[in-house]
Amino acid sequence: MPLDTSTYNLALLRVDGRRWNELRQQKGQLGVQPSADGSAYLEMGNTKIQCIITGPNERDTKSTSSASTAPTSGGLGATVAVSIMIAPFATVDRKRRGRNDKRLQEMQTTIASGLAATVQGQSYGPRSTIHISLNVLSQDGSLLACLINAASLALVDAGVPMTDYLVACTAGSTSSYAAADEEADPLLDLNTQEEQELPFLTLATLGATDKVVAMLTRLEGMMATAADGCKGVRDFLDGVVRDKGELMVQEGAIGRGEVVSSMDLD
Amino acid sequence: MPITILQHSLAPPPKLRDADSDSDSEGGADLEGDIAMGRPAKRARTQDSSIMTPGEIITDDPQWMRGHGTYVIPGASSNTILSSVAGTLAKTNKLLSVRPLRARYMPEIGDLVVGRIVEVQAKRWRVDVGGTLLAQLPLSAINLPGGIQRRRTETDELQIRTFFSEGELLVAEVQQLYNDGAAVLHTRSLKYGKLRNGVFMSVTGTGGGGGVVRARRQAFTLDISGTDEVSGSEKIDVLLGVNGYIWISKHIEGEGAAAETSGPGITRIEESVGLNVYSSQNDIIPVDTMREIARVRGVITALVENGLRVDEEMVIKGYAEAVEMAKEEQDSADTLWLGGERGKRLANALVGR
Repeated sequence: MPLDTSTYNLALLRVDGRRWNELRQQKGQLGVQPSADGSAYLEMGNTKIQCIITGPNERDTKSTSSASTAPTSGGLGATVAVSIMIAPFATVDRKRRGRNDKRLQEMQTTIASGLAATVQGQSYGPRSTIHISLNVLSQDGSLLACLINAASLALVDAGVPMTDYLVACTAGSTSSYAAADEEADPLLDLNTQEEQELPFLTLATLGATDKVVAMLTRLEGMMATAADGCKGVRDFLDGVVRDKGELMVQEGAIGRGEVVSSMDLD
Repeated sequence: MPITILQHSLAPPPKLRDADSDSDSEGGADLEGDIAMGRPAKRARTQDSSIMTPGEIITDDPQWMRGHGTYVIPGASSNTILSSVAGTLAKTNKLLSVRPLRARYMPEIGDLVVGRIVEVQAKRWRVDVGGTLLAQLPLSAINLPGGIQRRRTETDELQIRTFFSEGELLVAEVQQLYNDGAAVLHTRSLKYGKLRNGVFMSVTGTGGGGGVVRARRQAFTLDISGTDEVSGSEKIDVLLGVNGYIWISKHIEGEGAAAETSGPGITRIEESVGLNVYSSQNDIIPVDTMREIARVRGVITALVENGLRVDEEMVIKGYAEAVEMAKEEQDSADTLWLGGERGKRLANALVGR
C-alpha cells in the first residue's frame, strides 16, 4: 500500500496517526535476562529488540566469528563484539536469512564502531571482549536506530563505563523535486511503510550532545529532526535506568547515594 | 541454571516524562538554533533522585577529585566531573565515585573468591573468577600435600594436574593485582584449596544489587539440625565468593574455609594439611544433608531473583524462613523449589514487606 502523501499534506497526520515530529511509543526494561552480565529489552513502536551482554571477559573471539568487532580507547581498551540475529518471525514474510547478509554485517560494524567510541574500555585492558548480541524479535522500521538504543541500554545495565548514552533515531523527507516543496516536513522515527516510501537517514548522537558536522540543504532539516528525536530517546532511556535504580534503592539492594552540594564542604 | 517459567505480567505503563511535547506546534522543522555545537548542554540534575546515569554532570566544583565511575571531558578546561555508569554517588572525603547498579567483578587484594580452572600451563593455572580477565594461580602459591615446605621442582611441574586440573573448583584469595586488573591468587592457608562435597552456583553482579556483597565473613557454617528429620547435628558450609561464585557443601570438622579459628596455627601446617587435600573424590553425603544444601541454594536463588543482597545475615535468615515455609506446607519434596511466587513470598518475609 503506497504511502498517501497527499493525505499527510492535508491533515498533517501520518499513516499511523502521528504528527511529523512525534516518536512512536517506547517501552524499555533492564535486566530481562538474569544470567547475563547485562540485558535490556526495548520497543520503539512495533520494532522490538532484546539485547544480551556477555563480558567483558577473556574468551576467544573465534567462537563468535560472525560478530563484528571494534577496539575501544585506541586499541588499549576492551574490544566490542556485536552480533545481530533477526528472528524468522520478525517480519511479515517469514524467511530465513543467510549467515553473511551484507546488510546485517554493515549494521553490526556500524554499531560496534559507534559503541566503541563511547565505551571507556581502558579499565578492562585489551585482552577482554564485550560481547553484545542483539535479537530482533519484531521489525517495523528504524531497525538500526532501535538496535543502537537497545545496546546502549544493555551496556548501562552491564555497568560498563560510557561517556554517555549512544542514542539513535531516523528521519525521512516528504518533499519531492517534482512538487518543488523544499520546506516540506521531515518525518521523525519512521516505520516500515514510511521507510519504503521515503528517503531517510539514521542519526546517532552522543547523549545530550549534538555532534553533527556536515550538512546539506534539505538534509539539515532531517538531521535536526533526527537529533531532536535522539534527545527524546535519551530522556526515555535515562528514565528507564533511573526507575530501575530507584527501585533497587527502595528494595535495599544498594545503598542510598549521596548528593553533592557546595554547602556540605567542610 | 534451571529454566523457570515466570508468570506473564504486563509491561509497566509508559510514564509521561516530558510536558513540553511539541505535538501542537505548527509543523515544519525548526532549522535554526536547533543544533548546538561544542560543549554538552547542561542538563538540570534531578533533585529527588539519587541515581546517577552516564553523561550526567555530577559537579563542576574544582575542589572535588574524580574516582571510579566518573570522567572528565579530555581537553576541556572546565573541571566538570561526569558520571560514566548508572549508579549511586559515593563520597570519600574529597573523592567522588559512582557505584554502579550492577557490574562485573573487579578483583581487589584480599578478596575471597571461588574459581574454576580453565587452563593448565607449565607453572601456573588460569582460573575463571568471573572477572574481566582470567586470574592466575602460580604453582608456588599452593600448599603441597602433607604441608611440606620446599621449592617447587620440575617434578611438581610435571605433576601439575595432580593438584588442580581443568574444570575443578577452588577457593582462593587474591594476592596481587596487575595493572590491567588481572588477579594473582594464592591458596596458602588451610581455609583455601580444592572444593568438593557440594554444589556450585553463580550469581552475577557485585557491588550493587542482586549480588554477593563484601562483608566481614564470606564463609560460614549453617546448622541444619533445626529441621526435625535430620538426625544428629549436621552442618553445611556456605562460601560466598566476592566474585559472585558460591559454593555450598557438607561441613567436615576441621576442614573448609569456615574452620578459620578452629584450625592450628601456621607453624604446625605440616601436620594439618592432610595428604588428601587434592582429592577429587566426594565423601558420602546423607540425603538429608543434600536436601538442605539444595534448600540453601534455593534461598540464594530467591534472594538474587528478588534483587536482594546476598550476605551471611540474609542467607541465614532466609534459610530459617525457608525451613518455616516448608514446615507449614507439610514438608513435601517440592518445598525445596523457591522460585516464582514462593521466592517472592520468602523475599517479602525477609525485608518485612
